[in-house]
Amino acid sequence: MTDQTELSQVTDTKIVKMIVFAIGVQEYCIPILSVREIRGFEKTTTLPFAPPYVCGAINLRGIILTVIDLAIYLNVPPQADNPRRVVVIVESKNGIVCGLLVDRVIDMADIDLNDVQAVSEESSCLGGLVLVDERMIGILRLETVVGQLVGDTVSE
Amino acid sequence: MDDILQIFFQECDEQLQELEGGLSALSDGVSEHETVNAVFRAVHSIKGGAASFGLDNLVRFAHVFENALDGLRSERFAPTHDVVKIFLKAMDVLSDLVNEARGGAAVDPARVAESHAELADIGATGSQASTAPTAAGEDAIPADFSPVPMDFEPVPFDFDFGEEEEATPVASPLVVTFRPHDALYQRGDDARNILIGLADIAHACGGEIQTLCDRTTLPPLADLGVDTSYLSWRVVLPAEVAEESAQAVFDWVSDDCDFSIAREAPQVDPSMTDPSVADPSPEPDDARARPIEAPEAVSPVPAEDEHAAEPPRTTPIPAPLDLHAGAQSTTVRKPEQASIRVDLHRIDDLMDLVGELVIAQAAIESLSRRTDPAGQQELLQSIGSMQSLTRDIQDAVMAVRAQPVRAVFQRMQRVVREACSMTGKEIALTLEGEDTEVDRTLIEKLTDPLTHMLRNAVDHGIESTKARIAAGKPAEGRIVLSAEHRSGRILITIKDDGAGINRQRVFETAVKRGIVPADAALSDDEINNLIFMPGFSTASTVSDLSGRGVGMDVVRQAIQSLGGRITISSTPGRGTTFGFSLPLTLAILDGMLIAAGGSTMVIPIASVIETMIASRGDIYALPNGRNVISIRGDCMPLIPLATALKLPGAPSHNHPAAPPRDALDASVILVVENESGARAALIVDEIRDQTQVVIKSIESNYRQIFGVSAATILGDGSVSLILDVSALVASAIGQIDGKPSNIRAELAA
Repeated sequence: MTDQTELSQVTDTKIVKMIVFAIGVQEYCIPILSVREIRGFEKTTTLPFAPPYVCGAINLRGIILTVIDLAIYLNVPPQADNPRRVVVIVESKNGIVCGLLVDRVIDMADIDLNDVQAVSEESSCLGGLVLVDERMIGILRLETVVGQLVGDTVSE
Repeated sequence: MDDILQIFFQECDEQLQELEGGLSALSDGVSEHETVNAVFRAVHSIKGGAASFGLDNLVRFAHVFENALDGLRSERFAPTHDVVKIFLKAMDVLSDLVNEARGGAAVDPARVAESHAELADIGATGSQASTAPTAAGEDAIPADFSPVPMDFEPVPFDFDFGEEEEATPVASPLVVTFRPHDALYQRGDDARNILIGLADIAHACGGEIQTLCDRTTLPPLADLGVDTSYLSWRVVLPAEVAEESAQAVFDWVSDDCDFSIAREAPQVDPSMTDPSVADPSPEPDDARARPIEAPEAVSPVPAEDEHAAEPPRTTPIPAPLDLHAGAQSTTVRKPEQASIRVDLHRIDDLMDLVGELVIAQAAIESLSRRTDPAGQQELLQSIGSMQSLTRDIQDAVMAVRAQPVRAVFQRMQRVVREACSMTGKEIALTLEGEDTEVDRTLIEKLTDPLTHMLRNAVDHGIESTKARIAAGKPAEGRIVLSAEHRSGRILITIKDDGAGINRQRVFETAVKRGIVPADAALSDDEINNLIFMPGFSTASTVSDLSGRGVGMDVVRQAIQSLGGRITISSTPGRGTTFGFSLPLTLAILDGMLIAAGGSTMVIPIASVIETMIASRGDIYALPNGRNVISIRGDCMPLIPLATALKLPGAPSHNHPAAPPRDALDASVILVVENESGARAALIVDEIRDQTQVVIKSIESNYRQIFGVSAATILGDGSVSLILDVSALVASAIGQIDGKPSNIRAELAA
């Protein structure tokens, strides 16, 4: 199912370490175990017929992967001139590797899954909201994002 | 233990291949002693290995097989056509049994029993003398091959065949008695050597010897003559040992020794076998200790290591006799152990090159510190030599990865054999150029298409025996499967001497199936290509083997996904030839670097026919807004690449797909061709370079993109897309002419 439920089974205590990043003014987080590395944003190669939120392809030590502009994906105005923009390289459970372009990485947080408030249906990319230090943080459902990346086809 | 079992299965694959090769040679009339021995050895090794793992079914069958082959080896009967056929069938069963033991599909017991009986018959007819024992011993495995307990160290495969004795089942043990003369000792020989010899024979048959020393003639110590021989021995050998082999032990001492060799009833005088009477002298003790050392002597230990490094067989699972094999067996196939066997000298070559590379790197490093012009010049030279070194290393690595197509080709013998037995046709498959080497990834992917093509050739290509005789052809059909290198590609041809493609019928069927309109004017070649259309089948009756109309298009897809193309030529009444032309490797490609719409892209150089500057006069605008260009009288669609791929950097014009004619004047165009020869002209911004690129998958982390086959990484680390020329050309042609685009695309692709 979702990241959270599975991880909770592994850890027993329902606390999951998440990496928190910002897209525009809103903060989001994903489980830190799905993150492979974080690197600076570099020029991508444009891919034909790609959905608008796909920036293009980059070369990660010989592997070719696509970078998703999360701002466009989440319908937030992108900050093209922001020097703190980084690419979070993530790997989904079925082994698909892709990069998430975020405006800035904030910190890590231990999130108790019992505190997560569901906000939408299963298939949405937002898994829920959680309150950390008085800030509302959205939990990004990685599998949905990656699933769309692999499955979405924009016809000619 | 599992590891060792894996090695055993790899070993089996190799032995089966050997068996296949040997039996093919036999059926071609090559009945050299060495061939027969190799075949025998293969079955024997499988049996031996299987016994040590307790694989009863396998052992039982291999044993009967071996017995039958033994008749051939000892020339009790000749390898006639029928005999070889039975052996081939048995081999298929054996390979299925191996697969079953490996965890594959269970083998139909009836098939095993049938082949079992046939083999037993051969064994029996071959040796009238031993008919009864063979029949009796057919199911009872001799004691020496009963499964060994698993805590045992597995007995390594017995390669030392020369010492193996004929396993004619004989009921009673062989008793050898001998008494050395004084002369034997005077010559420096020793009774011990004879005992060791006998122990070796016994051990080769898996048994032990019982030795008894007769001391009755030994005088009291005081009267003992120092150089007189007093002792004699009685040695009981296992029943499997042949008399001749025991005789051979005495070949060199027959003049200096009294000896007798005889079969004796198993009931031996109890006093003689009583261990307490065992001879106290050191020699026989030595001899008894011998069997313990023997396994080391018989089985070269390095052999095991060698097998560990053995290449995995591409398809351990024999392709099921299923029409959809091409589409399905990929899902059935288990993951292969990733190891290959490589000629040592190829590794050495690679090592030499790497050594040179290290030196060249050091040279560049030291030259880069020099600032004078001469130093710069030398630096450039060094970099140049480094480039050629890199190329050499690449070639060397490719050579390491290259494997002969033999493994796949030999498997096809079985495919044809089985297809023949289903259709009742007599067909001989001839293999040519099995030593041709291709990249191993390619080899693995060739099996399914070839299987399908050969089944098809048997089912549709070759006529029935009656029709062949009526047409004045030899009753036995011929299919030739050959491989050769041709201009940087590998060409595989499947040639049959059947009736050829009936174009009239193909066309009618295609019309009936709605694949082409009835008034379409197609060339012979286009009609031939119709058989690759999805949903096409000319067979009026759907046979078990092929003829459901799926398959040929699957074959074409498979070949095209390997970057290959298929050609057909067919002469009515004379036969059909299919040719697969494939790149030697799937890893590296010669490409042309071009720029379009702000992106740098790679076009496979093999599909670029020419590059030129367009002149306005050659361009014709079509009413639908597209353009065609005439190049020396040849009309072809003109595609602005950036627009075709909807790249953001594409120049914006009034019509998105076709810039006005004037704007195209003096633009750079590439004439490209797809596999079947359809051409199109691509407009690009610039041609940058010609280079070799490493092919990287883009789909593994993304999805398929129209017009893009893969990606690569350029020298600056950036990603560049490799264009799929077939798709681009097909879609361009589809947009140009009025024919339904899917049909045109299919024909073109």
